[in-house]
Amino acid sequence: MSKTAAGGVTWRLWTIVAVIGIGTLVITGRLAQLQIIDHQQYAAEARLTHVSQETLSDRRGALLDRNGYPLSGSEDTFDVMVERKAWEDRTAAEDAAKKISDITRVPADKLISNVAGTDVFEVAAAKALNFQQATAVRDLGLRGVRLLSSSHRVYPEGNLAAQLLGFVGKDNVGLTGLEADLDAILGGAKGSVTFERDGLGNQLALGDRQEVPAQPGANIVLTLDRYIQRLAETELDKAVKEHKASGGTIIVIQPKTGEILAMASRPTFDLTNLDLSDDSKVALYRNRAITDMYEPGSVFKLVTAATALDLKLVNPDTWWYDSGVVNLGGWSIHNWDFSANGSQTVTQILSKSLNTGAAWLAQQAGAQNFYTYVDRFGFGKPTGIGLAGEAPGRVRTPDNDPEGWQPVDLATNSFGQAISVTPLQMATALATIANNGLAMKPHVVKEIVSPLGAQSVQPEAGEQVISAEASQTLRHIMGVVVDGIPKAYLDVQGYKVGGKTGTANIATENGGYKPGAYISSFVGVAPLEDPVLAILVKIDEPQDVPWGTVVAAPAFGRIVQQALAYMKVPPTEPALVSEVQ
Amino acid sequence: MATVRKAHGGTALTDLLRSPNLPVLLIAASMVVGLAALLPLVQSSDATTRAGTVHQLEQEKTDWEARLRELELDVATLGSLNRIEQEATKRLKMGPPKEVHYISVDLAPPAERKLPSRFLPSSHEQKNAGSSLWEDAFGWLPLP
Repeated sequence: MSKTAAGGVTWRLWTIVAVIGIGTLVITGRLAQLQIIDHQQYAAEARLTHVSQETLSDRRGALLDRNGYPLSGSEDTFDVMVERKAWEDRTAAEDAAKKISDITRVPADKLISNVAGTDVFEVAAAKALNFQQATAVRDLGLRGVRLLSSSHRVYPEGNLAAQLLGFVGKDNVGLTGLEADLDAILGGAKGSVTFERDGLGNQLALGDRQEVPAQPGANIVLTLDRYIQRLAETELDKAVKEHKASGGTIIVIQPKTGEILAMASRPTFDLTNLDLSDDSKVALYRNRAITDMYEPGSVFKLVTAATALDLKLVNPDTWWYDSGVVNLGGWSIHNWDFSANGSQTVTQILSKSLNTGAAWLAQQAGAQNFYTYVDRFGFGKPTGIGLAGEAPGRVRTPDNDPEGWQPVDLATNSFGQAISVTPLQMATALATIANNGLAMKPHVVKEIVSPLGAQSVQPEAGEQVISAEASQTLRHIMGVVVDGIPKAYLDVQGYKVGGKTGTANIATENGGYKPGAYISSFVGVAPLEDPVLAILVKIDEPQDVPWGTVVAAPAFGRIVQQALAYMKVPPTEPALVSEVQ
Repeated sequence: MATVRKAHGGTALTDLLRSPNLPVLLIAASMVVGLAALLPLVQSSDATTRAGTVHQLEQEKTDWEARLRELELDVATLGSLNRIEQEATKRLKMGPPKEVHYISVDLAPPAERKLPSRFLPSSHEQKNAGSSLWEDAFGWLPLP
């Protein structure tokens, strides 16, 4: 009995021991599975739940005009980030969404669908809240809802200089224009922060936190003057509308420094209301002042005349006989009005814009000299303004195209045909003539102001293209040209100005010219004695009249009249009505 | 009568164990140990509170900076040429001049407008960019 009892006790005891032992093994095995075998998976899940990593971006720098007025700046915005799990309960989600909707004006249904329609841990339910909205959402203290700071670009001056400034994408990276070209400077350096967070998604006060701070972007002061830029854009719009043109460009340069005061092109786009999904608008984003090439037409006669004057082959009163036609290699070159003017001076070649006279001047210089001066004026190569996408233009010379170049090219090039230039190249050449023959590199950045200091961009002098004497002589001739323009089209009160008109055909890709289509242009300097402004006005395909005198010169006159007064340039004596001592 | 008492080790401990004050002492010791155990908790609590305060102040700083930037842009928008023209033409009923009078004044021209200070590097940041107090104090040491 005792043996049986003892055996029963032993059996029961061993059973209990076995059960406990097996149980212990199972638990130990499960713990080993959780903590050793599947450690990586659960650790990752835990990190995903409790640890958050964010990319930090400091404020993107502003683009300022030369006087410090912001043309493009950044405004802080906030995205409402919601943890998907926190809104799995429909009632709780609706309650939270209703509260957020009251502040953000985003429908609650849309907020919920934004969160429900994703499989990521956390999603932005509402974006781009302003400061007041963000503060109100944060004060709600909703579970699983937090704010993520962001920023978006704002344009205090509206669409001013849209193509030059460019724009940024949703990730705040520059996509076009200066925003793209100067992205590394404007954007600063990205940082990152890794931190633990509580059930509300907020950062734990004593949790792990590792931060690499972001660096703010530098503010960039441009050479643009917002007043002159607006003036140029207003006049460009007026000219395009009045003459039903397809577009146009106006560039205003300070000749002594090469600083671009205004650079406007049409057609343009709405910088403040971008629609990047519309591919048809992509063509509007390019800066036509530097990307588009055209045949300049008669304004190029200034380069031809400058060559002949600098080589001292002619002077303003040198006589030449215009028979009305120049025959070269089987080609006949006529004047724009098919006139034969008889004995004419060099001044009259420009004031009457005689093609035959320009061809004669180029022949006097010879092809070698002519193309050397064309190169020195900066044609056929980028100006180096520092903007991406700048076209070099196209100049065919006996050296770079010995088989394609023909003697007639020298004649046609002399009056701006069969040669392609950009508006900026033409304006830069004009500025060189205005600056006593000294070329200044055109530029749009004046100063870079970072948190550590300011860095000025100094004007960069280039080549002495023509002598100061030749420059002054040519400017005098340009004054005579303007004197010959009817006051109804160009009348600048108080200042003497000089310029040259141009009416050019539009070349097609197959080598011919677009029938009935012209580019009307005017290039001018003011004041004539000591120019502070060099201006190019180019109007594409005016529908009523093609002449630069009628289409482009009036815009030049109005810009000069207002810009000189704005720049406090004193008018010539006869314009003064009183003197205050 | 013998006056010599046998000496044995641990007299003080034995006395303490036999002391009628032993319970009081034990309670006092327990309280000291208990209070000492609370110290890390108090310290941790204080650190948490301070960290929370720091975090809150950082948040306030961020908020003020955001507000400041918003106000800067408001100022820029209010000073834009479009608004100036709108105010001039609609509120002040101004129009383009019909006649321009030029007056020569024997005075130096106004100075070129300087960049507003808000776009310039702040003096605080420039100071931080320099050497610290410790670097100045131990600058003479041949340290790397």
